[in-house]
Amino acid sequence: MPKIAYFDTSHEMPLEIIMAAGFTPYKILGDVHQPNDPADKYLSNFFCGAAKSWLTEALAHSKEWAGIIFAQGCNNTNRHYDIWKVHVETPFLHWFGAPLLDNAAAKKYYRVELQRLISHLENHFGIKMTPEKIKEAIGQSNEIKKKLQRLSALRAEKDIPNRDYLAAVIKSLTSPVHEVSDWLDSEITAWKAKPAFPSGTKRFLLTGSDITYVEWMDTLDDCGIRVVRDDLSVGERFFATLISDKNDPLEALIEYYMNIPRPATRPTIRKRLDYLYKALGETKVDGVLSQNVKFCEPYAYDSVPVNNELKAKGYKVIHLERDFTPASDQQLANRLMAFVEMMEVA
Amino acid sequence: MTKTNNAAENDSRIKLKTLPHSQDLKWPMLWWIGMEKLYRTLPWKKTAWTCAAFPIEMMWIYDIFPDHPENMATVAAARKQSQRLIEHAESMGFSRDLCSYCKTNIGAYDTKIKKTLGGISKPDIVVCTNAICDTHWKWFQIMADKMNVPFFMFDIPKWVSGTDEKTLEGNIDYVVDQFYDLIAFIEKHTGKKMNEKRLYKVLDRSMEMSNLWREIFEHRKAVPSPYSGAETSAAFFPLVVLPGIQVGINFFKKILADIKNLTARGEGTMPKGKEKYRVMWEGIPFWYRMRFMYDLAQYGVVIAFEPYTYSFAPLKKKCVTLEETLRHVAKLIMDTPYAYNLERRIENFEKWIDEYKLDGVILHENMSCRPSSAGMVDLAEAIMRDKGIPVLILQCDMNDPRAYSEGQIKTRVEGFIELMEANKK
Repeated sequence: MPKIAYFDTSHEMPLEIIMAAGFTPYKILGDVHQPNDPADKYLSNFFCGAAKSWLTEALAHSKEWAGIIFAQGCNNTNRHYDIWKVHVETPFLHWFGAPLLDNAAAKKYYRVELQRLISHLENHFGIKMTPEKIKEAIGQSNEIKKKLQRLSALRAEKDIPNRDYLAAVIKSLTSPVHEVSDWLDSEITAWKAKPAFPSGTKRFLLTGSDITYVEWMDTLDDCGIRVVRDDLSVGERFFATLISDKNDPLEALIEYYMNIPRPATRPTIRKRLDYLYKALGETKVDGVLSQNVKFCEPYAYDSVPVNNELKAKGYKVIHLERDFTPASDQQLANRLMAFVEMMEVA
Repeated sequence: MTKTNNAAENDSRIKLKTLPHSQDLKWPMLWWIGMEKLYRTLPWKKTAWTCAAFPIEMMWIYDIFPDHPENMATVAAARKQSQRLIEHAESMGFSRDLCSYCKTNIGAYDTKIKKTLGGISKPDIVVCTNAICDTHWKWFQIMADKMNVPFFMFDIPKWVSGTDEKTLEGNIDYVVDQFYDLIAFIEKHTGKKMNEKRLYKVLDRSMEMSNLWREIFEHRKAVPSPYSGAETSAAFFPLVVLPGIQVGINFFKKILADIKNLTARGEGTMPKGKEKYRVMWEGIPFWYRMRFMYDLAQYGVVIAFEPYTYSFAPLKKKCVTLEETLRHVAKLIMDTPYAYNLERRIENFEKWIDEYKLDGVILHENMSCRPSSAGMVDLAEAIMRDKGIPVLILQCDMNDPRAYSEGQIKTRVEGFIELMEANKK
């Protein structure tokens, strides 16, 4: 099944529309092990490393994709669209204007944008997207989400290396649904058979910008940190809630995407905190790790009020401003180890 | 471009002629300052924080004083206060990489510095859009939460390259719907109802003010240039906070009359025969270092056009119904030149280069404004390819003096001037 790649700084892309159109949605995540030289030509040194890495990936691989869709996300998503329109070869490029708000006006606009996306896909690829096909895609999407929920819950009970969780989410965001579904079943079985959560390891909630290479997760394990909850886009935000089985599938998608755990790119900070508190209420943690990719503005803004509030409530919070790449991971590891030691002393 | 105390050297410096009525900018400024005091005194009047690309007219219509954190941040920079305020905000945890306007405002509010140094008071409401950047809503929401005041945000859809008319109409519908939400929000917090008569009166004056600024820009096409970016960067103040207010119109009328007199005599802002290079300045000025604009004059450079101040004066039309008015304003909010997409930016820049007979373009790659800085490489390449003139990309910051490197900027400017000179031969 051909892939349609999407540029999404959080979880704003209605993947079910891509699936209903007969494509595999492929979330562009970049490759931190590749130099960003091609993207550096077009983006200055004060743009976030994620956007550069994604552009580098697109410049190298766009011909393998049937098309690219941008979902309105962070501050610069529209600017990146303009640059990609000039430099990235693709037969199909679409801008999906996901609204930032979640009120009645935004819901109405969301429907307009969904219909515009559907029409563009139908006209370009000569397909017909019926409500039944969209419902079927919603069903498939929910299946994946349910399985990820089950996997995710095991993090706090079993000895699941951090990398295994991130790898599962990444696979779910980049591979064909049927392939992922079967694979997740086998992972659930395997994870259930793992030993109990290792004593002495600290339980953390991970929040902030997405870091999408598994070696970072190994580093956290090396520091004695096990991520048992998160509110990341390549994480719980993707599967925390399910899409309802309403008769009108577009209405179900609108409701779903406007009620997922809020990223920093969407108002309000209070709503983002609501999910964090919900997660912290459900799962006991020893600390909170707030990670902020350098030049990722939405999370940099949020980090001050969010972390201050969590600290005021007694949570132990460490904030790391970091590169998108592993360049300074060992320095960060020193800080994390010191933080864990302080927790133990306390 | 280093500051010198050498009297002889100072005597030989090229001085830009300021317009006779340029000092009259003090009247709109004093009016604005006086109005804030009045609005904060009278219990039936309200105050708001607003931002660029927000329809400020709506505030005046509802008897709300539009305070303007960005404007006050520029005051702080001009009064050499921005660095310490930015550093104060950074000490609160805000990253070095975040917007310097935002951090200046946070620092100013938290340290309670005087108004004359860029200070700002707590408003009754906070309203903003994300038409220019998402920083606006993140910043304003953080401050609204901190001050515990009601917050309203306009979500403005993005007009990306290649957007068709049908999509644009859908975008306008969304903004218009939000206008009704804004009206409900304002009425809830002011207890006042929309006065349509006042709406049209304010909008008529706003249109008049815009038209005057646009006419001023028409005269800036003259060679030599009668009015440089050094002056417009201050003079456009009424467009920022006083659209629809007579005192700003009066000021622009005087400026326009001065410019007409100057061009009728064939004179410009530079001394006779000294205007050598006409340049476009793209981006926000270095507010802490406005002397930069005057330093350019020493090389015979005049900033003949800048999209930034032009953005505040869109072509407005007279509408007869509320719905028509809201649709028109909604489109204007999305259509600001400062936020043009890459394709429209290239198209319009190339048009302005011809109209203003420009020899070069300086692009301020502003570390505090990523949306404005994205695509500058492509913009520069297109201009050099299509128009055959040099383009200088200067990486710096609008409000954070720490980003300004005197020697590096001088070297780059001089290289740019050499290119313009070579290009003329």
